[in-house]
Amino acid sequence: MMPFISLVKRDLTLGLRKKSQIYQPLVFQLLVVTMFPLGLGSGAKTLALIAPAVIWILALLASLLTLDQIFKNDYDDGSVESYVLTSYPLPLAVMAKVLAHWILSGLPLVVFAPVLGVLLHLPSSSYGVLMLSLLIGTPIFSFIGSIGSALTMSLKHGGLLLTVLVMPLLAPVLIFGAGAVVESSLGNSASQHLLLLGGILVLSFTLVPFAAAAAIKINLE
Amino acid sequence: MPVIKAKNISCQRGYFPLFEPVSFELKFGQSLLISGPNGIGKTTLLESITGLRKIQQGDITYKDASLLNSKDEWFDQSFFIGHKTGNKKELTCLENLRSFLTIQGLEVSELQAENALQQVGLAGYEYQFAGSLSAGQKKRLALARLTLIKHSIWILDEPFVNLDVAGCDWLLELLIKHLENNGILIITAHDNKTIKEKVTQELILKTFKGSDK
Repeated sequence: MMPFISLVKRDLTLGLRKKSQIYQPLVFQLLVVTMFPLGLGSGAKTLALIAPAVIWILALLASLLTLDQIFKNDYDDGSVESYVLTSYPLPLAVMAKVLAHWILSGLPLVVFAPVLGVLLHLPSSSYGVLMLSLLIGTPIFSFIGSIGSALTMSLKHGGLLLTVLVMPLLAPVLIFGAGAVVESSLGNSASQHLLLLGGILVLSFTLVPFAAAAAIKINLE
Repeated sequence: MPVIKAKNISCQRGYFPLFEPVSFELKFGQSLLISGPNGIGKTTLLESITGLRKIQQGDITYKDASLLNSKDEWFDQSFFIGHKTGNKKELTCLENLRSFLTIQGLEVSELQAENALQQVGLAGYEYQFAGSLSAGQKKRLALARLTLIKHSIWILDEPFVNLDVAGCDWLLELLIKHLENNGILIITAHDNKTIKEKVTQELILKTFKGSDK
């Protein structure tokens, strides 16, 4: 357990010192969201209608901003060797990296979501479901993104490639996540969507660490 | 009884073999210097030995078990420092040293880490960010790990690069002490003559001439 905790701790320390990983996605979201009323030029009703989709797409795009950093920095400075060249299972190290990434980049998105909701006139009754769906959805972004990050870590500008690799895999997350918020804004139960989202989270939690670990090994060869 | 046996190993970059297959055997207390011109594949060979890369041809055994099967035991006993130092520029020297080793499963107290930094001549830099160090100091910070680990096999890629004269002397002394304690050393170095005299074997890599098939 010790390597796991110390890897999470190290990444959190790094994130809190650099900070850009935390505020960049939020600033990006805020900037884009303020453009919507200007571009649409229509009233609160239209905004409320598109709010679930917009907030979820923004969460997805904001995550993509930082996903490549999961393994790239470690590859560049060589510290990836500290968890590859040990008897400690690499998939567990991947989980530690993903957990730290989610705390730094995913969790702020969840907390920040109601602000976007207000700006887009989302019915206040849906805030609970919005935050809950993001709470389940953002870890999936980090998990699946870690595969893309591991695959592109040796590339200088792997950002676009990572997006191309990861986006199709994240489409179901977007469908069920935004779907949950739409249902709740219409006054229906969102539990179906949320359960499916939870299913994807369990699936990525169990499978992704192995895939990402394999990708890291490929890249070091 | 040799601990490490390598038989006919060769490395490739893409489809091209880099050097003529090499073999070596190492007992406890022995050391191996890998030399050859730039670009011949010294680093690639070292990385294959550590387990970072796959060995495409030949086999390495550790305690008579192939490295392909007994990786865990090998990882517990071997320690690698490569060209990339593995230091995080946003962490202080002390944090770097401690976190790197704790991630490897080795608990290091603050006092131990401070002692190690003192030994490598980084006393007073404990709370400096590694990003603000010079290249030689970064190397010293990476090498400080050697004073804390208990691994018996050290695999070092150009450890003398960037070090000043005093640093080279210190490192040489440390390596000799490691060998006297029955450790094993696999090293690359091409500009240091003293290490050449101290090692038990030297392996000179030669360009691949083509297969005899």
